[in-house]
Amino acid sequence: MNLPSHITPPPRRRPASAPDRAPVYAIVGNPNCGKTTLFNALTGLRQKVGNYPGVTVEKKVGTTWSQHGRPIQIIDLPGAYSLAARSPDEAVLRDVLFGRREDTPQPDRIICVVDAANLERNLYLVHQILDLGRPVIIALNMMDMAATAGLKVDPAELEGELGIPVIACEAVHGRGLVELKLAMSRVELPLARHRWDLPGPVAPAVTELQASLRDNDDRSPLIARAEALLLLTDFDAVRVAGSRPLSARTHQILDQWRQRWETEGTDWSGLLIRSRYDAIGLLCRDVIVRTRETGPSRSDQIDAVLCHSVWGWAVFAVIMAALFFSIFSLAESPMNFIDEQVASFGGWVKGQMAPGDLRDLLTDGVIGGVGGIVIFLPQILILFFFVGLLESTGYMARAAFIMDRPMSKVGLNGRSFIPLLGSYACAIPGIMATRTIENARDRLVTILVAPLMSCSARLPVYLLMIATLLPGNTMPAVTKAAIMLSMYALGTTGVFFFAWLFKRTLFKSAPQHMIMELPPYQPPRLKEILRHMFERGWLFLKNAGTIILGISIVLWFLTAYPKHPNPAATATEQIAQSFAGRAGHLLEPVIKPLGFDWRIGIGLITSFAAREVFVSSMGVIFGVESANDDTTPLRDALRASHWPGGAPLFTPLVCLVLMVYYVFAMQCMSTVAVVKRETNSWRWPLFQIAYMTGTAWLVCFIFYQAGRALGY
Amino acid sequence: MPPLSSLKNLIPVCQLPAGASARICELTGDDSFCQRVREMGFGEAALVTKISGSSTSLCLVKGTRIALNHRAAMSILVEPLPANAR
Repeated sequence: MNLPSHITPPPRRRPASAPDRAPVYAIVGNPNCGKTTLFNALTGLRQKVGNYPGVTVEKKVGTTWSQHGRPIQIIDLPGAYSLAARSPDEAVLRDVLFGRREDTPQPDRIICVVDAANLERNLYLVHQILDLGRPVIIALNMMDMAATAGLKVDPAELEGELGIPVIACEAVHGRGLVELKLAMSRVELPLARHRWDLPGPVAPAVTELQASLRDNDDRSPLIARAEALLLLTDFDAVRVAGSRPLSARTHQILDQWRQRWETEGTDWSGLLIRSRYDAIGLLCRDVIVRTRETGPSRSDQIDAVLCHSVWGWAVFAVIMAALFFSIFSLAESPMNFIDEQVASFGGWVKGQMAPGDLRDLLTDGVIGGVGGIVIFLPQILILFFFVGLLESTGYMARAAFIMDRPMSKVGLNGRSFIPLLGSYACAIPGIMATRTIENARDRLVTILVAPLMSCSARLPVYLLMIATLLPGNTMPAVTKAAIMLSMYALGTTGVFFFAWLFKRTLFKSAPQHMIMELPPYQPPRLKEILRHMFERGWLFLKNAGTIILGISIVLWFLTAYPKHPNPAATATEQIAQSFAGRAGHLLEPVIKPLGFDWRIGIGLITSFAAREVFVSSMGVIFGVESANDDTTPLRDALRASHWPGGAPLFTPLVCLVLMVYYVFAMQCMSTVAVVKRETNSWRWPLFQIAYMTGTAWLVCFIFYQAGRALGY
Repeated sequence: MPPLSSLKNLIPVCQLPAGASARICELTGDDSFCQRVREMGFGEAALVTKISGSSTSLCLVKGTRIALNHRAAMSILVEPLPANAR
């Protein structure tokens, strides 16, 4: 086997003293080529998959077993088109392969997953990875889609050309996994015949930079060569160096070469990229055979409608309307069922126990608090089912395409819309997904506005307020869905307004180019969607059984103690002088101009942990207050509540204002923690709390006072 | 040397009508943009077919659907191919 001069072949036999360490594999490839599906199939884990680029933004580690029963560690890495990383998620791939991450072992071997239907483009990253001189296995994925596109891809021919294992597979159907495991189980893997002619003007610069990186920057010889090639592909040397800044000498060499090429008019980056593609073209000459000409694919035909400047918007509006209508119409029966079970269970507990603090703790604290939130489980499941459908079919990327134009009006582009759309489910994965955004300012603006998108935690608050506002069956589901839709629209409007404001003040920058690959449409993978939906549902119940239960018990204690000196005091008098009541009274002057009293104030304080805690808090407070033996639905208890003067507390106006408050206010500790981690500073999460909660107060103040002035 | 755009009948991708095909001739965006476009395999000489869009363009390049915002589509100059050459 002929090896290029920079690659030293591994010893034929491992030294006797070498530790018998299990090999570490990395799974790499272009975005959306099936890496995580393969990772899940190999490890049995259940990492999230979706049909849009950028689902995986951080490394994931799992274990599989070789044919000889030995453990093999596998690292699943975010997708990238090139090792010249442009965004934080792409940098994870480069840093792990270059051994720059202290928390991750440098992989011994690499599985390159390539999309057989787009072989040449996928091989560009493989070509860069072969520079690293490490054993590589190519998993030729999506062979079925290549066949549909009229392409015959010959794995044996590619294997013959490169001299490394090339395994044809369809990860989604589990095909080719046995063969892949067999290849992974081999004690020794051959190194690729990776020979390509560097362009004449660039070759001496590669040699000089490689030597400098090795001698002055402490890089190993192979990493030095790969990094030298990246420095001559990417115009931003600081970005390539990442966490390992370059020495002054390497910078000097790089600057000298670049100045020279500029004088000569040499397009060094273009030369290098073209020479790689030329080498790939030669490699694929006999690997890909077009068996037949295919007309526009089904995805092209669907895109002609879904990405149309008029029809695209119409379909988008119908999808969103269907989502909100389903939340009301489909969830009604299971929700009523859970409501009845919670009420009858509360009644049964009351009947079984003697009156006293323990009974009140169980019925008002635990059942009132947790039961109040559990009834919203059906809606949460429906929301996640719909989001799963959008992610699985490939529509997420189309929504980003449609939204590019309005996003460009506020200085962002369609790429920012995928994290925002994901934030309808939960802001935390939405904020994580901003790692795919290349421009740091655009990324920060997207992080700052993402929590304004109405997440699933707001759903219980909206639903409770709509139920209080429109009791029973007095209004059709369409009206309730329209109110809900308007709250989502208000949040989305807030996103656009604040993105516009921030891009013109704090984060001024020129509009960015956007290039985004739209994946082919796929039938929804119902098994994956249902699994993810039930996982999120379980998480919701887990939170209800832990955090919300804990807060409910503590809140019950704070409303029940200290006891009123007069044993004949009413329940309202008891709460008013309790610890919680005193805190609520302290807050009341600030929130009274919004139409909220001290009891609502308690809910606002406790729901800073998570928005849905507001519902459980209302359950505890109004459950304690209605100190009788009947367990009434919370919405009825809210409707019956009054101000001291006798005026109703939850008027239609107050219900709407409360919803508006939750549209804007930053009431989620987990989001604060994630923003702190992603921005690496407390500055931005604190700013986010201030601007969001400040806006909530101001908008509610205007809305309530205007409503009052108009006689509502 | 005068730019290619002045020698040939070049138009930006966003002005290409839906359904038409063209050859990419010149990239006029910043260096970083040109690098990414080339690395994704549709630099100079690649064939592109417009699927839809005017503000944001949807194109087919080497079997891949690529969305380009207006700024990106303005930066890719193409030479339209006659209908019988597609």
